[in-house]
Amino acid sequence: MSFVKRFTLQEAICLGFCASLIVITRGGLRLHLNVPGHAMFFTMFFLILGRGCVPRLGAATLVGLVAGLLCTLLGMGKGGPLIILKFVIPGLIVDCAGIIYSGFPESYVACGIIGAIASASRFLTIVIVEWVIGMDWSVILQHAAISSSFGVLFGAIGSLMCPPIVRRLKASGLITRDP
Amino acid sequence: MPFKRKSKPRQAGYAFQYSPNDSPVHRLAAGWKLALCGVLGALAVAARVPWALGVLLAVNLAYYFAAGLRPTDLWRDIRIFVIQMAIILVLYVVKFGLAEGLWPGIRTGVQILLLFLPGAVFLRTTRGSQMMQSLKRIMPERLSFVLFTSLRFVPFFAREFREIAMAQRLRGAPIAPRQLWNPVHWKDLFNCLMIPLMVRALKTAREAALSAEARGFGGMK
Repeated sequence: MSFVKRFTLQEAICLGFCASLIVITRGGLRLHLNVPGHAMFFTMFFLILGRGCVPRLGAATLVGLVAGLLCTLLGMGKGGPLIILKFVIPGLIVDCAGIIYSGFPESYVACGIIGAIASASRFLTIVIVEWVIGMDWSVILQHAAISSSFGVLFGAIGSLMCPPIVRRLKASGLITRDP
Repeated sequence: MPFKRKSKPRQAGYAFQYSPNDSPVHRLAAGWKLALCGVLGALAVAARVPWALGVLLAVNLAYYFAAGLRPTDLWRDIRIFVIQMAIILVLYVVKFGLAEGLWPGIRTGVQILLLFLPGAVFLRTTRGSQMMQSLKRIMPERLSFVLFTSLRFVPFFAREFREIAMAQRLRGAPIAPRQLWNPVHWKDLFNCLMIPLMVRALKTAREAALSAEARGFGGMK
């Protein structure tokens, strides 16, 4: 957990606020929509936006960790404390992408690809849980594909909303230009 | 004689939300409930034969109802898994046929349900403050500061979210829930709502950090 030390207090609080906004939008969507995977729309948006606002390694993971803990504390989402993984794994993927291409929050193509890959982490979670239970491999893969396909779609669309916002925040001097 | 309203325990309207009650499960420490989650989850993974699954299902249901929760709460909590169970069952029957695919499909669906049900009881019976107490003991100080600051600001940002949305709608922005079904308006949602919200978040983060540093919260860069 010492990775929190790499951020200034302001950066850490800002990332915490991105997590708060994930929780608020999840709560808001729960009232209005019943489409599977729709929560990935704002989750991916704020994970990538967090990485765009604080261009340091671990930013998206911290957003994911805090969002997962907040969801657990507020009793949101299925699976109890396991929900933390649903936010941390996409956050880790976003941070790994940041190692390869640090300027991705400003690129539509990169955001779309990374958003889709990170949203597909739900596929991985389902595969692990069902493999542990001892399900047949072909059924696991089919079920994971059905369950995660909408999430991938919504996650990719949510990620595509990030670049113009990061650019505008940078242009107005609200977030730093240099990583 | 003055009319007295009977006070019923308030029931949470959504799945997995805290249900206030005075049951033995509510009184159990959060750490013990988490440990129970782990044990019952592990047993759900290990149980393969019908009698073991039946016993485990009975234990889970007893645990659930010992928390003073109602069958309507149970339905709210498990309906998402019922859909998953139906998908799994259909996939098994399609692949192996009705005779061979029925039992593995039911078994797997029940196992998944049993894996997640103790987590639902944990969320239903543990107050946020109880969880915080437990988390404070195991989390580093810096992370807990960030977490509790974020939690403290959830109502603030929810209010900001509503106020900005209302102001933008009055100015003609197509961001009403009904209009957001149309993906054409999603860009407006981000331009009219998310940018002002992020500007507010960044400014509030700066003020909160200054305030915390002024009060002597140090140790960060």
